[in-house]
Amino acid sequence: MAEKKPETPSYEQAREELVEVVRTLEAGGTTLEESLALWERGEQLATICQDWLDGARKRLDAAIEADEE
Amino acid sequence: MALETSLESPAPVRQIANAIAGWVDRLGAVWVEGQVAQVSRRPGMNTVFLTLRDAVADISVPVTCSRTLFDGLNPPLVEGASIVVHAKPSYYANRGTLSLYARDIRMVGLGELLARLERRRQLLAAEGLFAQELKRPLPFLPGAVGLVTAPNSAAERDVVDNARRRWPAVRFETAYAAMQGQRSAGEVIEAVERLDRHPDVEVIVVARGGGSVEDLLPFSDEALIRAVAKVRTPVVSAIGHEPDSPLLDLVADVRASTPTDAAKLVVPDVIEEQRNVTRARDRLRGAIAGWLAREQAGLDALRSRPALGDPRSLLDDRVDEVVMLRDRARRCLGHALDRAADDIGHQRARARALSPLATLQRGYAVLQDADGHVLTSVADVTSQQSISVRVADGRIHATTTSTEMIDREIDGREEA
Repeated sequence: MAEKKPETPSYEQAREELVEVVRTLEAGGTTLEESLALWERGEQLATICQDWLDGARKRLDAAIEADEE
Repeated sequence: MALETSLESPAPVRQIANAIAGWVDRLGAVWVEGQVAQVSRRPGMNTVFLTLRDAVADISVPVTCSRTLFDGLNPPLVEGASIVVHAKPSYYANRGTLSLYARDIRMVGLGELLARLERRRQLLAAEGLFAQELKRPLPFLPGAVGLVTAPNSAAERDVVDNARRRWPAVRFETAYAAMQGQRSAGEVIEAVERLDRHPDVEVIVVARGGGSVEDLLPFSDEALIRAVAKVRTPVVSAIGHEPDSPLLDLVADVRASTPTDAAKLVVPDVIEEQRNVTRARDRLRGAIAGWLAREQAGLDALRSRPALGDPRSLLDDRVDEVVMLRDRARRCLGHALDRAADDIGHQRARARALSPLATLQRGYAVLQDADGHVLTSVADVTSQQSISVRVADGRIHATTTSTEMIDREIDGREEA
């Protein structure tokens, strides 16, 4: 499994890899060691995606609030 | 017949007058077209005095005609009417005045008028004054709107009120001008040019309410058309109602059907624009929010998948697997051991069955010599030899006294 990417992947890249990780895990046939590594990578990717979404949400809410003042 | 005159021998007035009269007569009778500027018909005078003005230039000429001719005209001659006159120039020597003596006056009828307008339109069109590429676009939000109209006219109110309703902050630069009669064309030209020079004015509206073809004639005036063509600021022509279309409509950058329509063309409906901007912003946010919701749902779905949401499930499978394997291993082992145990038991039983112990227990004994060999024949021993006797529960040490041979025959059966 690729170790941590040099720079934060874009949202689409992270999401893409996350889908791949989940599919591999669910397909099974990976060694315990690989499964663990895959699972950790999955968690990491999910966090990255969540951060992107939270960031976007914050910026949108900020724009809306700025409007309300 | 140039007159020879000099300081020393000047010609008398009458001679000069006659000379002028002669030259004037040489023009002969001509058809002249013009606009009636003034009409003076005094009772008791059988001559009517008119002033005929050139349609374009600021030139006019006095015209006289007999009262009968004047009264016979139908429709009657009114100021501002366009007429064509068949007249002969005449010079009244005694007062030194020149005028055209009209022998025939033709009203320029509406059909005639329109025909002449059409000819003028073709003339100007041929010069390319109405060319589409010359049309300038109107500014979306003009700094100031130039308005040429009659003072406190309905047209003025229409344009100003409508514009204000659409954009309260609109600024007007109004240049009043006569919107009817001969002075109209000239004044409109002057107003348009003044507004054109005004730095803030970014669009000029020429607005006038409805009227007859004659009323609107000034707005087909050639000089006005040429002036508007030269002007740099975009011009909106808002003359009369929808059907009216003076030449000004063709040369203007934009033709408005009515003054109200002109207001709509030159000034955006700011309230509407504001609403559009707000609506656009809302849709923008809606789109982003929608996108975010979709992606968030996608991500949540992914995270809730067992592989990520509950990694223990992954391990549980493995644990179950291991447990299952271990149990199977144990079961196999158990079986193997059982089988082994049976096997051993079986072997032991067989061993036990074959082992002499049971025989010993049935009262038999095994004789062994000193070094352990089993004695099976009396011949194997001598008397006084120390032997050991293995009985079920131990050994008996003895010394042989004597031996005795028994007949093999009996024993043989037993062996078989």
